[in-house]
Amino acid sequence: MIPHSAILKPSSRTFVPDPGRAPTEDYHELIFELEKEGEWEVQRVPEPYIEVHNKYGRTKKIPLQKTWHHKSCGQCGHIPGYSTAVFWINRKLGLDYIDPTDQTSCTAWNYYASATSNAAAQAAVAMRNFAAAAETGYFPIIHCATSFGHYKETRQQLLHSPELRRQVREILAKLGKKLVMPEEIVHYSEWVHAVRDRIAEHQVVGMDHIRATIHPACHYHKLVGEDAVYADEIHGRQRSAIITGLLQALGIDVRDYSTWHDCCGFGFRHILVSRDFSRSFAVQRKIEVMKEEADPDVLITHDTGCVTTLDQSQFAAKAHGRNVGLPVMSDSQLAALAMGAHPYKVLQLHWHSTDNKPFLDKLGIDHKARWAEFEAAVAELRSGAKQYLTWEDCDV
Amino acid sequence: MGLDLSGRQYANVPLQEKQRLFDEVKADLRYDDYLFGCYECGICVAACPSARFYDFSPRKIAQTMAREDVDLFYVMLNDSVWDCSQCFSCDVCPRKNSPGGLITLMREVAVKNGLPSAQQALEGYGRVVYKIMATGTQVSPDMLQDNAFPDWGPHVKDISQNLDVWRRALPPDTMHTTETSWRVDDKTIHELYLIWHMTGVMDMIKEVDEGLFMILQDVMEERLEDAGYDVSFD
Amino acid sequence: MSERPILVVGGGPAGMEATRGLAAAGYRAVLVEKRDELGGTPVSGSYAALTPDFRDAGEAMAEMAATIQGDPLVDIRTGSRVTDASGQAGAFAVTVEGPGGSEQLEVGAVILATGFQHFDPGRETQQYGYYEYDDVLTLVDLERMLKTGQVLVPSTGKPPERLCFIQCVGSRDRQIGNEYCSKVCCGVAAKESIEVRKLVPDCRVFVFYIDMRMYGYWEPQIYWVSQEQHHVNYIKGIATQITRTKDGRLLVRGEDTTMGRPMEVPMDMVVLSVGMEPSPGTIEMAGVFGLALNKYRFIDTLGGALDTVTTSVPGIFACGAATGPADLEDSVSSAAAAAMKAIGVVRRAALAGST
Repeated sequence: MIPHSAILKPSSRTFVPDPGRAPTEDYHELIFELEKEGEWEVQRVPEPYIEVHNKYGRTKKIPLQKTWHHKSCGQCGHIPGYSTAVFWINRKLGLDYIDPTDQTSCTAWNYYASATSNAAAQAAVAMRNFAAAAETGYFPIIHCATSFGHYKETRQQLLHSPELRRQVREILAKLGKKLVMPEEIVHYSEWVHAVRDRIAEHQVVGMDHIRATIHPACHYHKLVGEDAVYADEIHGRQRSAIITGLLQALGIDVRDYSTWHDCCGFGFRHILVSRDFSRSFAVQRKIEVMKEEADPDVLITHDTGCVTTLDQSQFAAKAHGRNVGLPVMSDSQLAALAMGAHPYKVLQLHWHSTDNKPFLDKLGIDHKARWAEFEAAVAELRSGAKQYLTWEDCDV
Repeated sequence: MGLDLSGRQYANVPLQEKQRLFDEVKADLRYDDYLFGCYECGICVAACPSARFYDFSPRKIAQTMAREDVDLFYVMLNDSVWDCSQCFSCDVCPRKNSPGGLITLMREVAVKNGLPSAQQALEGYGRVVYKIMATGTQVSPDMLQDNAFPDWGPHVKDISQNLDVWRRALPPDTMHTTETSWRVDDKTIHELYLIWHMTGVMDMIKEVDEGLFMILQDVMEERLEDAGYDVSFD
Repeated sequence: MSERPILVVGGGPAGMEATRGLAAAGYRAVLVEKRDELGGTPVSGSYAALTPDFRDAGEAMAEMAATIQGDPLVDIRTGSRVTDASGQAGAFAVTVEGPGGSEQLEVGAVILATGFQHFDPGRETQQYGYYEYDDVLTLVDLERMLKTGQVLVPSTGKPPERLCFIQCVGSRDRQIGNEYCSKVCCGVAAKESIEVRKLVPDCRVFVFYIDMRMYGYWEPQIYWVSQEQHHVNYIKGIATQITRTKDGRLLVRGEDTTMGRPMEVPMDMVVLSVGMEPSPGTIEMAGVFGLALNKYRFIDTLGGALDTVTTSVPGIFACGAATGPADLEDSVSSAAAAAMKAIGVVRRAALAGST
């Protein structure tokens, strides 16, 4: 007879992944195989790197530094504190990086919105950027989850289509560039995750009393999911470890809600030309559910489209009396904030829509004083006393 | 408005035309990775954000393609594919189908063939296509205008009014731009133009938006000519 | 020259039936079982009742074991494993390590009945939260619970008001690599649904499925019974995800495909109908005996539909779920076929040796 307690307490379950049972081919092997065959060069992850794991238990290398920052047009254009925070953390930790100008957008937002492109063009854009990175000797790190997702898709297509490789190789040759595939396609939030203990060592703003919800980006963990990072100690390796790992390292209470797996409602074309859909979805399926079920102080996510949709959709909903008012920011912004970054000079929170002052209050950050500092700096720019704000103005 | 699966609305389109477009979708090198067979189990539907708000079903897209029903395909091609969010939540399929991937291919064919439904779907979107193709970054700071995003809140107006100075208040020196998201090298832009040219993307634009094509052609030819390239987009 | 004994590896239903068959025909058998008791997965997995006939699993396995225990022709070695093998059909030398140490045995033929293991839902494609929510169980967990005679929601200790089964977890899934149907899960779920309804008559029970696969007599034995007498609801549509509501109840999301409507339904318990994968023992023994595995890592059989037990090595046969998903009927039938073929090998070797 089995005691009832054994039945009622099955939580001792632990899942141990076996890389030998991974259902997909290991892209690393295929990439290096094609290098041996002379099809392309592989750019190695520079040492020292940090090893993390995917859902199958395979190892992924995350570069610590010597990173080439493949920026996001949506972040730099509309949420500029997002990428600024990534750079600021690098500087604060004394890590070497390049913020390149020989970089285009991945153009995937447009592609998923309008389809005014094709596989060869998209692959050529990706490989042009990768070649530009390789020329510098720095390793690409992708800021946007859609770029990350699209580049993974592109890599899969290139791996399996000699014809596409030939086509793209010829195009790049005409541009005077080589076909170079990075050993790993790395999303910046994976880097944030990999250095989370260093970030926590530099934490100056206590967050033990903070409750947060997170939203994982579809193009991060659903689209070619095998590149996403998982860890035993985070969600029992049943959800990606990204964001949650950082938040837990900072002492934040990460709270669950029932629609965590849902998309944000961005929709690519919808956010630009059918915003009623994006707004309804973001509010009804995400923000209101989080507020109702988890009562968070802040929502942290790790993608351009997700920050945009989840943040900007709340204003109109508020006018309709919906249960909204949840500040949204990226993991990089939160990490920088924890490390003492300026909420306006670095996080650039004035570009966000939803009121984040109550959250700053809860952290004990004097946002009025910080805003006055920002305004004073801006006044210097207006008067011509200074042309730009620089990193020296931001304590790094 | 519900999706009319009867096909009556396209009864006057010749079957050969529907078949031609279907075959064009099927000929894409990605097609075999996006469709195997369909259990018709609906696992994709519950994952789909668009299915919650539109009469849209990734299951019906996969079923239609797997059944090779060209009449139904034509309905989907015109009346359904633009509802998709392209989030790829449907990639949970146990058969490893990607309804979202099929839709990417279908949209591409709709654009390439200049279908009126595609033109309609892209109405108001031309400025975005222009931005990405001509400048190399898509959503530039100067697109944040309160008349474009009236529902996003008063900060949009603040941003547009302070745009130049707030951009200069960004510590990364690549981000002082207003017309692009960051400073993109001229050489980089030229390379992007050459990619559009060599991969037939300009031909697609010509089919779906002639006016946009002409503007892009002017801009690109001029910049490339100044840089010493001899390229014609005709 | 008399026949060498035949080695049977695995003491589950297939191994016991093969052994029984060998002894019944007057041949010597050595049965090696790594666990300390016979009965295989029905015993180690604490099955309550067998599918489809609701026989008490423990009793049924004990009855099978009794047919071979004490038989002078049968040498049963529990707590033992085969660690090495050499030789050929008619004359194999195998090393068996057991409680008494290591021993080398001469055997004429080998029957592998090393079985399967249940799919671990940690590898599922969907988001069912087996490792996150206590009230998400597998068929095996529920079986264990049924064996105690009570069905209780783990998190509350109360009987469930709503319980569902989700079919094809870890089976028929290209993403996981298990493209095959595991054959038994539909039947087991139907059987368990009846048992739940009997124990908790107020509980509403649902089965979410892609196709219900109820072969032959299983249709009137369990499928119809569950629907017609116990009012279990069968819904075509596979759940995409399980999450938890604020009040701690599970929320199952999917599409009711034939009704053409989305579903978001609360449940007190969710039972994942996990399929079959080769057991570690099956893979290990294939290594020891040098047998080819198929792409799913079950032991490969060469004869197609007409010979389900002949492996890539002459003189070595496999039966039961070591060769692929199998129900009990399949397992004992293939065990008998393997016994017959093994007898043929040792008998012919003996005849050849005596001429």
